[in-house]
Parts: sequence; structure tokens; C-alpha cells
Amino acid sequence: MQIQNYFARIRTLINIAFFLIFLGFPSISIALDFPQKGKTIQILVGFAAGGSSDVGARILASGLEKELGTSVLVVNKPGASGQIAYTMLSQAPPDGYTIGNTNFPSAVVTYLDPARKATYNRKNFIPLALHVIDPGLFAVKKDSPFKTLREVIEAAKANPKKIKICTTGIQSDEAFAILQLQKMTGAQFAMVHFSQGIAPAMTAFLGGKIDVFCGNVGDLIAQFKSGEVRILGIMDEKPSPFYPGVKTFEEQGYKLYNASSRGFAAPAGTPKEIINILSEAIKKVVASEEHKKRMADMGLTLRYMDPIQYAKYWDDYEAIIKELLPLTKE
Amino acid sequence: MEAIHNLLLGFSIALTPQNILFAFIGSVLGTLIGVLPGIGPVAGVAMLIPLTFQMTPTGAIIMLTALFYGTQYGGTITSVLLNVPGEAASAITCIEGYQMAKKGRGGVALSIAAIGSFFGGTFATIALVLAAGPLTRFALEFGPVEFFALITLGISLLMGLAGKSMIKALMMGIFGLLLAMIGMDPVSGIPRFTFGRMELMDGIGFVPVIMGLFGLAEILMNAEKQFSQVFIEKMSSLIPTCKDFRDSFGPILRGSLIGTLLGLVPGMTGSASSFLSYIAERKVSKHPERFGSGVIEGVAGPETANNAHANGALIPLFTLGIPASPTVAVIMGAFMMHGLIPGPFLFKEHPEVAWGVIASFYIGNVILLILNLPLVGIWIKILKIPYGLLFGIILTFMVVGAYSISNSAFDVLIMTIFGVIGYILRKLDFPLAPVVLTLILGPLMERSLRQSLEMSQGDFRIFLESPIALVLLILASVFMIAPTFKFIKKKKSVISGE
Repeated sequence: MQIQNYFARIRTLINIAFFLIFLGFPSISIALDFPQKGKTIQILVGFAAGGSSDVGARILASGLEKELGTSVLVVNKPGASGQIAYTMLSQAPPDGYTIGNTNFPSAVVTYLDPARKATYNRKNFIPLALHVIDPGLFAVKKDSPFKTLREVIEAAKANPKKIKICTTGIQSDEAFAILQLQKMTGAQFAMVHFSQGIAPAMTAFLGGKIDVFCGNVGDLIAQFKSGEVRILGIMDEKPSPFYPGVKTFEEQGYKLYNASSRGFAAPAGTPKEIINILSEAIKKVVASEEHKKRMADMGLTLRYMDPIQYAKYWDDYEAIIKELLPLTKE
Repeated sequence: MEAIHNLLLGFSIALTPQNILFAFIGSVLGTLIGVLPGIGPVAGVAMLIPLTFQMTPTGAIIMLTALFYGTQYGGTITSVLLNVPGEAASAITCIEGYQMAKKGRGGVALSIAAIGSFFGGTFATIALVLAAGPLTRFALEFGPVEFFALITLGISLLMGLAGKSMIKALMMGIFGLLLAMIGMDPVSGIPRFTFGRMELMDGIGFVPVIMGLFGLAEILMNAEKQFSQVFIEKMSSLIPTCKDFRDSFGPILRGSLIGTLLGLVPGMTGSASSFLSYIAERKVSKHPERFGSGVIEGVAGPETANNAHANGALIPLFTLGIPASPTVAVIMGAFMMHGLIPGPFLFKEHPEVAWGVIASFYIGNVILLILNLPLVGIWIKILKIPYGLLFGIILTFMVVGAYSISNSAFDVLIMTIFGVIGYILRKLDFPLAPVVLTLILGPLMERSLRQSLEMSQGDFRIFLESPIALVLLILASVFMIAPTFKFIKKKKSVISGE
């Protein structure tokens, strides 16, 4: 009786095992040869070594190496707001061994702006994952007459093009956020573009040459702690842990969400199985405690989106930029 | 008190083993570049920028600045022993130094030069420490409007002073400004003069351009020349006598003062300081007739002055963000490549970089003193490497360096093209210093102008409303008009090239 039972159990187990092997066989057989040991996976980064895109990619690369069991190399191809690297990514062989860092807004703006004559568009990329997001914010100096976001916007309506606000360039996320807000509310700001980066914008802001600071969550953490600045609002769905007590734009009645973000994509044509392996690996790395800690130490805000969510985010973002881009040329 | 506190912070950073190592590497390379005739400090710094990409910003700037003032030490060695100036600022040292070497007192000349260099460099650094505090309090007064006025003043000074021919200097200045126009328009985002090349969209890379204009062009120029490698090898003693010290004391003090003050003036180069110091020494000397026969004062003064000048020239860069000479402009470019904008805000935003680098000047000067005094023999040996071989090595290094800027062969192409352009311009006797300055200042000038106009919605009166900007712009117009009255003509021959 006992022996019979035993045999029956073994038979069932064998049956299940065969069934599983049969089911899993096709995908395993393709998946098995990716990534091949000893073959390097390249991550193209369109920004200089040491910048925050590069740092984020390098931290992820070291996690991916463990996850995929092969070396993962970050290759910097800086220039033209990332366009050089995006072009290379779009032309890379779609075998999974070349993937790239895709930053918003640059990854989208570069192909939407006809003046840039980009050779690629949305269709050339398969999103793998979004991993970092840096939401936009508005801030004023401590001694500014503006106490709330509403006051700033009302002032910009009452005195069009008199309230000076900084951006880091006409095609930056700040400029798009301001354009979006102007469209939404009818306010008109005097945008001052600091295309050489956030540092000179900050000098002008702290020196009182600029009325309102438009930047990212990562920019003002120290100044907020020291009480030098008042953060008026954050362009995200939820408040930022870096700024306790600061409301989002949405909470103050303006449905504005804007951020610069960093993700990864593979060239179009990369087999679905390989995409799955890569995106699963990224997902695992991003979820690990070690990775979370390393990213937080670098001041990077993690936000994971899987390939489907990222693809939707990309499409939505593209639609917004398409609408706003003509306004930058006025 | 505040200055001491800041300096201590600086030393805590500069004295880490890593940063001492960078100061050491910079000093060694600087001395080497100073020793090698034909390769000046501009080319030296430009060639080594690619090497610093993987370093921390502090380490990178420590190394590049050490390299810069290190060349001023090294240049002396060839001036004294070979009668060939290793770089232009030491040219005047040939007169007395070589005569001293002929008399077997070359070692003494080098010792006094090294001590004077150390003293001058340290003196100017103290001046920088003292100036930094008060000037940085001014920092936040400088917005785009004031910055535009400041750069206009800087460019006007450079144009008025650089070169033997005013017209040629102006042409080169405009050439640099035109090169600065390449790339995306900072306001409308439309590509300008990019010829459809993505690589040009961020503007033409200043590192490959300067590597070409200075490094490659200098090598091409030198390929034509024959260097007389006549050494004076008998060197009795390195140790100066008590009388030497007594005679050098005054020149070293005066040289420090002249170098530091002239270093502050944009457009003045180290050669102007050393030349002026030499003239001053001859004027105050009780026995001017002995000048030319190998007097120690004629070595001590100029060698102190050019080092004080090198460190002094960093004062306007650190405090205002204005490069006073071509080499300093290249160092400014290095700052920007590391995401730092020199100027008053540097002390506020990145005190660890600013003060760390300043403290490293003391360390670098000590290292250089050691490198140059007991080890002078090694540098002389390096001069025996055949130039054909040496230039080959440097050329290889430059190509690799240019490629590594952004892992792109395009930069190698740019370097080569500008090497040829630089060679032709030199053959035609065009000064290249204005190109570097306007190439680096041009984009800053354009952006600050357009930011100012965005702030005022196109109203130019914004420049008159700011008192600081108004004063700076009035000064700029005075300097621009002055040369037409030929006030400055007398000085012209002194200030050509670095």
C-alpha cells in the first residue's frame, strides 16, 4: 500500500517534470545562449563620465554583471544632448549586447525637433526600464514676496513677462514645464535660459537676479535644509521625501507633472526573449537593497517602471513634447 | 581669521595622499614641459586635460595648475644651461643665466632661480588667499548682466594688449569668437555652423582645438628647427654663497611684487613680468654695467617674477572667473569640463575644490623646489633624448588624448585640422593667444548677453541700470579706445606670446 502510493507519487512527479520541460523548452533553448559568458554587454551613455546619468548607469551595470553573469560595460559617447549616443543605439545590432541610457526630455526632443535632423524616432527603441526620476519644482528665496505657488502664477498673469524664471535651456525639462504651466493657466513668465547648467542659474537666483527658480528636486536639498529657500511646489504625483511639508502642484490645483528621467532601451528588432531577460535582470537589480542604498547615496531618486509602463510613459511624454516644442521656437 | 580657517580646510584636502600624488605628477610633467623647448605651458595643459577626465575635479585641477606653474621652474633649466628658453617667460633669464653657466656658476643660478620661484609662487598664493575672501563676498552681486560686462572688460583688455600687431590680434580674436559661434544657439536651440555634424552641436570642443593650435602646431614648427644641443656640463656647486643670497634678496622681493601685480592684469603674460623685473633690477642696481656678464640679480628677479605671475594670474580666475592669460584660459576650460565654473561662486558652492586647489599651490611649490634643486641632473639628461623620438612619443600621446575626450575620432580630426591651421598662422606670424581666450570666453559672453536680454525682455538699458556693470563697461570702452591713442604701443613688444 505504502509502496504503491510511493510509486504513484513518483510517477506524478515525473509527469509534471516532463510537462514543465516540454512547456519551457522553446524559451529556454533560445534564452540559454543569452548572454553568452565572456561576451560583453555595452550600455551607451550619451553624457560625460562622472555626470549623474553616467553614475546611475554604472551603479546599475555593476548589479547587472552579477545578475547576468557576464561583464557589463558603460561606454560614454557624450555630445549633442545625447543625440550621438541615441543615434549609435538606434543603429546597433539588435542582439541585446548593446543597450542604451535614454534620458527624458533629450531622448524625445532630439528626434522631435526637425532642426536636429535625427535619423531615429520612437520606433527605433524598445523600452527596457525606467530607473531614475527627478521631478521639477518651483522655489523662491526666503525673503521673496511670493508665499505660494498661486501667488506666483497670479503675478505672472497680472504682469505678463515680468516675473523672471530660470531654466537650463530651451529644450530642458524646466522650459517644457513652464510652457505647460503657461498654457494651462494663461500666465506668462520671462524665461531666462542658463544652458550651461544649473550652477549659474542658482547663482543668479540666490543673488536675487531671478524671481522664481525652476529646477529639479535634486537641486535645492541643501538650500531647503538651511532655510534659504521656500519650495512652492513639486511637479509629481506624490510629495518628495526630500522636502517634507511641501505640496505638489496637483494638490494646489495645477495638474502639472514634469520630470527629467533616466531609463534604458534596446534597439528595435531585439528579440522579445532577450528583452525579457534584460528587463527582468534590471528589475531585480533595482529592487535590491544594495542598489537602493548606492543610488540614495548619490542623491538619485529611484523609480522603477517595467517595459510596458515605460513604453506608455514614453508615448505620453512624446505627446506632451510634440505639443510644446513649437512654442519653444516662437 | 576666516582666511586661515579656509586655508586649513584646503590643506585637509590637498594633503590627502591622492592629491599630493596629483600635485607631484603635475609638478613633474610641468618641469618636463618647461625643460623641453618648443612645448609651452598652453600646449602642455591642453594635452593633459584628457588625462584628468577620470579624476575628481579637485585632483584634476590640482594636477593641471601644478603643471602650469611647474613649467615656470623647468623653463629656467634650459635657459641657463642651453641658452634656449624652455618657455617664453624664462627667455630673459638666458642673458645672465647662460653667462653664469659659462663661468661654472650654472648650479648657483639654478638654485637661486628655484628659491626665487618658490618665494614668488608662495607670495602670490598668499595674495590669492587674502583677495579671495573680500571678493567672494561680492559673488552674488554678479548676475548675467554684470558677468557680461566683466567678460567684455576682459576681452577688451586682451585685445588691446596682445600681440605685436593690433590688427592681427583682433583678427585672431574674431576668429576665436567665430569658432565659439559653432553649435546650438543657446536660446532658440537651432544648430549653427554644424554642417550637419552631430559632434558640432555642442560647439567645437576647445580641448582638441587648443591641442591642435598649440601642441600640434608647435611640434610642426619644431620639426623644422635644429636645436643646438650644446651643454655646459661642468657645474661646480649648487650651493649659493652668502653674497649670492644677499644680492638676490632684493630682486626676489621686487620680482614677487611685479609678478603678482602683473599677473592680475588680463592680457599680461609671464614674459612681461620677467622682462619688467629684469629692467627693474638693472635700474636699481648700483653697477648696471655688469649686467650681461652673468650677475645673479638678473636671474633671481625674473625667475621670481614669472612664478609669482603664474600663481598671481590664477587670482582673477578663482575670484572673478576671468582668465588673465592663454594658459589660465585653458585651465578655466578644464574647470568647465569638470562641471565647475570658476569665479566667486566656486568658493561658496565648492569650497573644497577652491581651497583644496589653493592649498595645493603651497605643496606644489615645495615639491618643485625639491624636484629642481637636488634633481636638476635628471632634467638635463632628458634633454639628451633625440627630439625626433620625443616628438613622436608626444604625438602619439596627443592622438590618444584627443580620442579619449569623448571617445570619438572626430576630435582627433579637429585636432589635426587645427594643428595645420595653427602651423600656417604661426608661419604668418599671427598671435594665437587671442583665439584661445575668445574661444573660451565667447560662449560665456553670448549666453550672459542673451540671458540679460531675456531678463529685460530685449531692453539694453539693463546694462546701464546695474552700477557694477556700468563701471565695468566704461572701463572696457576706455581700454578699447586707448590703443588708438598709442598709449600702449611702447609696451607691445614685451607682451607677445607666452
